[in-house]
Amino acid sequence: MTKWKQLLRRRGRRWAKRLALFAVLFGLLIAPYGPVVLVGPPQIVQTRNPGIGVHTRLTDEVEERKIKRTLEMVREMGASWIVEYFPWGYSERKPGRFNWDHADMVVDHALAQGLTVIARLGFVPQWARPKETFDTFLPAENFECFGDYVYAFVEHFRGRVAHIIIWNEPNLSLEWGYRPVDPEGYVELLKIAYDQAKAANPDVQVLGGALAPTLAPSGSEWGMDDLVFLQRMYDAGAAPYFDVLAVHAYGWKFPPDAPAESDAVNFARTELLREIMVRNGDGHKPIIITEGGWNDHPRWTKAVRPGQRMTYTVRAYEKAQQEWDWCQAVCLWAFRYPWPAQTHQDYFTFVSADFVPKPIYLEVQRYARGE
Amino acid sequence: METEESRGLKELSGLMGRFSRFWSIRPFRWSRKRALVTTALALLLVVVGVLLWRSAHRSEDRVWERIQRSGVWRVGMDPSFPPFESLDENGRPVGYDVDLAQAIATCWGVEVSFEGIGFDGLLAALWADKADSVISALPVDPRLARDVAYSVPYFEAGLLLVVAEGTTDIAAPDDLAGRRLAVEWGSEGDVQGRELRRRLPDVSLLPFPHPQDALTAVVAGEADGALVDAISLRQFRQQHVGVHAVGAPLVSVPYVVAVPRHAPRLLEAVNDALVDLREEGALQRLEETWFGQ
Repeated sequence: MTKWKQLLRRRGRRWAKRLALFAVLFGLLIAPYGPVVLVGPPQIVQTRNPGIGVHTRLTDEVEERKIKRTLEMVREMGASWIVEYFPWGYSERKPGRFNWDHADMVVDHALAQGLTVIARLGFVPQWARPKETFDTFLPAENFECFGDYVYAFVEHFRGRVAHIIIWNEPNLSLEWGYRPVDPEGYVELLKIAYDQAKAANPDVQVLGGALAPTLAPSGSEWGMDDLVFLQRMYDAGAAPYFDVLAVHAYGWKFPPDAPAESDAVNFARTELLREIMVRNGDGHKPIIITEGGWNDHPRWTKAVRPGQRMTYTVRAYEKAQQEWDWCQAVCLWAFRYPWPAQTHQDYFTFVSADFVPKPIYLEVQRYARGE
Repeated sequence: METEESRGLKELSGLMGRFSRFWSIRPFRWSRKRALVTTALALLLVVVGVLLWRSAHRSEDRVWERIQRSGVWRVGMDPSFPPFESLDENGRPVGYDVDLAQAIATCWGVEVSFEGIGFDGLLAALWADKADSVISALPVDPRLARDVAYSVPYFEAGLLLVVAEGTTDIAAPDDLAGRRLAVEWGSEGDVQGRELRRRLPDVSLLPFPHPQDALTAVVAGEADGALVDAISLRQFRQQHVGVHAVGAPLVSVPYVVAVPRHAPRLLEAVNDALVDLREEGALQRLEETWFGQ
């Protein structure tokens, strides 16, 4: 009997070891890759200019630690606002089935860093558009589907995200599914999105417009002058359907103090859009610059020298704060890319893909700290 | 009586018997010897297959064949970066890269057709078969080495440490301890200068709005060295004397010719031509023509 007991005990120990080994291996297999990243305690942005913002590019950033580090660096630079893209096609891959995992991760880390998130909504999923069309192509019969997504997004992020942008640069053909641009069509989309957003959260701020600054001539197949497009939006009854005008304010080769002119793309063109708002009885609404800035690529034709870019950028933040009381925030393009684009776009960034701060980052930080 | 034919048949049947015994699968037994021979044969087949496939694909280069057949080499270029490429008053491309393409084409006995393409779209033009090659002051991007093939470099445009003529005690960045370093504010030179100052806190960093100003400071004795790119240095030396680069580039930016990945013979021909042009002194002459040195 003792012999049997000993045998059973030995076998039991052997099996226990095997089970333990199996459990470890199984744990390794199902464990998430990379270290566990904690959101961390809430932080506060220290800045002399609470209107400083940037457009982040975290949509395709997979690793949570990189998302967190990016947003930490935004705060450490002294920026309080971020614009981030939350593609409809990523969150609702099948009609009515939403996955907010990645969006939650970005928003939660941003809030922990003390940042205000402006969510840019767009990107049509395959199921909501005809085959062989681009992800900016949304047929009018599916505007309601986009409205449903807006409702779901606003409801899900109620209490966390208080600003949403409806679509991006609808005055460019490529952003309107490579069709002729259609201000009246965009207003129809805006109405549906606005109603759904307010139904989900009456306090959410709906940003309309987000027009590309362009001097496209009348009848151009590529786009429509943003000043013309905005007036056509008002003519189509857009006024009650946005709370804030989103503006893209690129400087190209001009300094931020260059005067606004209808035949020039520069930072102060924002004032011309503002004039159109006032003319249409919308002067009480604020503007938020959700894209903009300067580029210092050595050979892009619209680029400036790196030193000019730094001076212009700091001055732009300062100008908006001091001279444009109707401008709530200036979110410049683009804080960091997940990986180098290897195009002139890399020269819009403040931080390299591997988190090395560029001199412009340090200069904005110095300004934000009042040094 | 055993004829020669029947002996042959017997030998053949013996051979087949041995073969069938060796490979008999019924009853199947995996002897060590059989396993080894099978593995060796399989490996041999794979190696021969791979070699044959590679040689077949190596010899196939439709881009090169088309260039030879048509006598025209389509070169993609963004003519907005003088002195490498720009348009003259008649709208014709001119510059270092234009002359380089012409020189390579002359080696092959073909004509060049320049295709104007925006810089960001140059490599896409190769993939879309809008150009056979790209010559446009194009730096190597290692991330795209699977998508395009790069030639040997023909020009180094990287970041250089520049000192005044006659300076003998600065040969590397570490020799700048306790000295003044001029950079273009916000440039790659500035980034590297700040990095250097983290290692050597007593380096004084002097920012200037333009690389030419940083070099002027070196000539004037206001700075002990400057970190500028090789193109700015060459352009400065067109009109000034008194500075020269020391050491290897701190950040290397080699300009290369890009060709489609599936054009190995074209790549080989480009590389051969570049080596020949360098040996003949033609690349040096191009520098003299376009940078006046």
